[in-house]
Amino acid sequence: MIRHKQPHIVICNTLCGLILLLTAPFFSIATEHSPTWQTIVNNGSNKPVYFHAWGGDPQINIYIQWLSEQVRQRYNIELHHIKLTDTSEAVSRVLAEKSAGNYDEGKVDLIWINGANFAVMAQNGLLAPNWAQSLPNFALTNPDKNPAVTLDFGVPTQGMESPWGQAALTFYYDSRAMSAPPYSLAELLTWSAQHQGRFTYPKPPDFIGVSFLKYALIGLTPESLKHLLYQPATEQSATLLLPTLWRYLDALHPNLWRKGRYFVNNSTALRRLMGDTELSLALTFSAPEVPAAVQRYDLPTSIRSYAMHDGSLSNTHFVAIPYNASHINGAKLVANFMLSIDAQAKKQQPHIWGDRTVLDLSLLSEHQAHLFTQPNPHPSSLISTVQSPALAEPHPSWVKVINHGWLMRYGAKGQ
Amino acid sequence: MFNPNNVFTKVITLSPALLLALLILPVIGGLVGVLLPAFSYIPALGEIGLSMKGFSALINTAGFSDMVRLSISSAFISTLLAFSINLLLVAAYFTSPWLNRIQRLLGPVLVIPHAAAAIAISFLITPSGMIARLFSPWLSGWQSPADWLLPHDPWGISMILGLTLKELPFLLLMTLAALAQTDLATNLRAQHKMALSLGYSPVTAFFKVVLPNLYPFLRLPVLAVLAYASANVEVPLILGPNAPPTLAVAIMNWFNDVDLTLRIKASAGAIIQLLLTIGLLIVWWCGEKIIKRITQLSLVNGTRNYADKGITWFVHLLTTVIVSCVLLSLVGLILWSFAGYWRFPESLPDQLVLMHWQSAFSHMQTPIMNTLLIGFIATLAAIVLTLFTLEAEQQRGYTLSRFATIVIYLPMLIPSIAFLFGLVWFQEQINSQHALFNVIFSHLLFVVPYVFLSLANSYRRLDPRFMNLAASLGATPTKVFWQIKLPMLATPICIACALGLAVSFSQYLPTLLNGGGRINTLTTEAVALASGASRRVSAVYALVQMLLPALAFALAWFIPKLLIQNQHKGNHA
Repeated sequence: MIRHKQPHIVICNTLCGLILLLTAPFFSIATEHSPTWQTIVNNGSNKPVYFHAWGGDPQINIYIQWLSEQVRQRYNIELHHIKLTDTSEAVSRVLAEKSAGNYDEGKVDLIWINGANFAVMAQNGLLAPNWAQSLPNFALTNPDKNPAVTLDFGVPTQGMESPWGQAALTFYYDSRAMSAPPYSLAELLTWSAQHQGRFTYPKPPDFIGVSFLKYALIGLTPESLKHLLYQPATEQSATLLLPTLWRYLDALHPNLWRKGRYFVNNSTALRRLMGDTELSLALTFSAPEVPAAVQRYDLPTSIRSYAMHDGSLSNTHFVAIPYNASHINGAKLVANFMLSIDAQAKKQQPHIWGDRTVLDLSLLSEHQAHLFTQPNPHPSSLISTVQSPALAEPHPSWVKVINHGWLMRYGAKGQ
Repeated sequence: MFNPNNVFTKVITLSPALLLALLILPVIGGLVGVLLPAFSYIPALGEIGLSMKGFSALINTAGFSDMVRLSISSAFISTLLAFSINLLLVAAYFTSPWLNRIQRLLGPVLVIPHAAAAIAISFLITPSGMIARLFSPWLSGWQSPADWLLPHDPWGISMILGLTLKELPFLLLMTLAALAQTDLATNLRAQHKMALSLGYSPVTAFFKVVLPNLYPFLRLPVLAVLAYASANVEVPLILGPNAPPTLAVAIMNWFNDVDLTLRIKASAGAIIQLLLTIGLLIVWWCGEKIIKRITQLSLVNGTRNYADKGITWFVHLLTTVIVSCVLLSLVGLILWSFAGYWRFPESLPDQLVLMHWQSAFSHMQTPIMNTLLIGFIATLAAIVLTLFTLEAEQQRGYTLSRFATIVIYLPMLIPSIAFLFGLVWFQEQINSQHALFNVIFSHLLFVVPYVFLSLANSYRRLDPRFMNLAASLGATPTKVFWQIKLPMLATPICIACALGLAVSFSQYLPTLLNGGGRINTLTTEAVALASGASRRVSAVYALVQMLLPALAFALAWFIPKLLIQNQHKGNHA
């Protein structure tokens, strides 16, 4: 990271200044429309905000550090990044506070969240509702035309969370270990038989592991039945759809790393095994982490990224505010800044984080949209010329069904 | 009128009670905070009726019996191995300067937090690890890493290896600390020498003469190791299997699961974990009694030699293997922390870069400051409380009751996973909002037992004649305490400080849970990064984690020497 700093930072700072000038008019229009926003700015400034977010990736941590410098300059907000190993730790904490009768002095002000964690918190009334749409910058996401920013795994967000970024399931492989990678589920099966022990996926309930299973389930389900995946899972639909998945896995597992007896716990462990060249094929939800890891020496230079031809699972990730947060207004200011053009453009830069923006670039001026383009792609980064249809996330209730079924079948194998 | 002596005596008189309250209230509170949910009492989830459904859900969990079996077997085997190897080492090198040299070589392992040690060992034994690289491809023929089962093997072998290598130095240090007590050591060494002169071979003499008198000093450390091994989460997370994992890891996963109703099952699991650990401790204690009974006769059967030559050779071999394993994992860690591209099977990286250290250091200041602050305050508090309690004992003229002793060692013997979740709930109840204070307080629970353990014997075994002499010259108890006892105890106090710091530095669960995740220390950062990121950054963190406590132990070794030197100078002047 240090190597890239000097030239880019200078350019970036000038650009940030420009963006600020350019966005200033927009900002003031938004404030005129919502007089309460000024109250939020007044009440939220000069206070700390505790942001609970997964802390397993140094690159993302550095970006969050940049965010905290920015909100300090703008609002004198002290943004503390609480690094979680799993987002559910924050969910547990808010629940513990609720059970202890702490209704307005919660320690969690802002959570990076989506999917099942969001569904659980929403169900249990642990999130502050109806605030996301009031953020001035939220309009930049073009919510009327872009349902991805108001639907979290098919569940309406009801203003409980503000979008932050988008991700698609991406595969990467070691080009020294094979001539061509598998491009579909069927090819994956034959490839794994030829390359014994060179592929695995993280154990559910890990996010990437479940995502791989969802990708497989969508791919294996016939078109006529696919609509069932976008409705709450029932016992009936589960018994109808899951057996094909289990048959596929039964065939795949003996070819996996450790013959499918042991599964890693998360996708970063997967990346480490790719770095060790124990694996030759792996998957991730943040494509830009791959070239970044190559530049940090964590992956060999022979790594290449690609998208499966039979589709890529895609979703949005959000930030949410617990119902009992101590600094609700400060958290809103931070969430709004996360949606600003400069924060989103910086986040999409491959050498910063490379997370895809949630803004609708067609709403921006040509100059603003240009900030989101990538100058010289790294050889290991994802080349998006190949068509890979986006696969929408199934209804979140499927996660539990898939997890449960997987753990019952493969989770407790003795020897 | 203000009389410093009176005030001091009062403080001293009160401190045992304070110490006990400090330890017993949070642990009991924490246990209650787990017991209620275990019987399905969580008002926040709308569960208020007491029932056993947590336990029935637990028993119906797929692989539950495997989890329990894995926890029991890995804990028992690793403890037995570490204990036996410790005894063999001490026996074979009892009269040799090598005992201290080995301790010095293994010392660094003692101070590495468990998570870092587990990472280092996994670097060593993975198919792409140092051992495989050293023997590939010239011997093994591997061009790419073999798909073998270590680490994470379903039998827990890697986990046992990790725990054994990590706990051995602790037991060795505790043994040597016992042997550092002048009177005990003099007696034992004299008896050993006597046995040698009667024709016993050295190893046999150790087992027959020294061990029976030494074991009482080792009992508690061994039980602590056993309890820790049965309930820790760091080592099984990094080295153990996950289909299914050990019980403690499963409990932690359930506690953290998004499905909040799993809390009931997790709390039930914590109760089972508690019973499992207690059961293991009882089994060990019974085993000890049985072995004592069985071997009673052979102690005096007059046999001078039990294949001592063979044993000695075996110990030489074992020592070489262990020390080279430790050195190799150290070398591995250092190489990884500087490594550029490093493809298997190269035994050295393609290039060495400073990048990983630079990027780690730019984020490390706050965690290091927090680590030091928490460590120093917790250790200082523990040392003061321990010394005052021990002084109170001597002023009252009788030692702490059996009950009090058990209470002091409670946090060492009760699995932390069984009461920490409850303790967080408890702290919420009394509305203790200050995160740093909560963390320091929870660290204190774990630091006190170790400090007490390492100080108590030296304190109780101080030669009373010095004190009697001072008193007969008119010195008040206060003066005796500050000017006679403390200077005489300089070495053990410094060691206890270093141990306390090391214990505090390595705490993961208490820091994370009691600080509400707001307090980042070196260890929480390291574990967070170990769950993701890269080997290279992990290696940097593991090395820094080693460096801090190593520094503390270096000071503990150096300061008493300095003090003694100054004293001598003072005498000459």
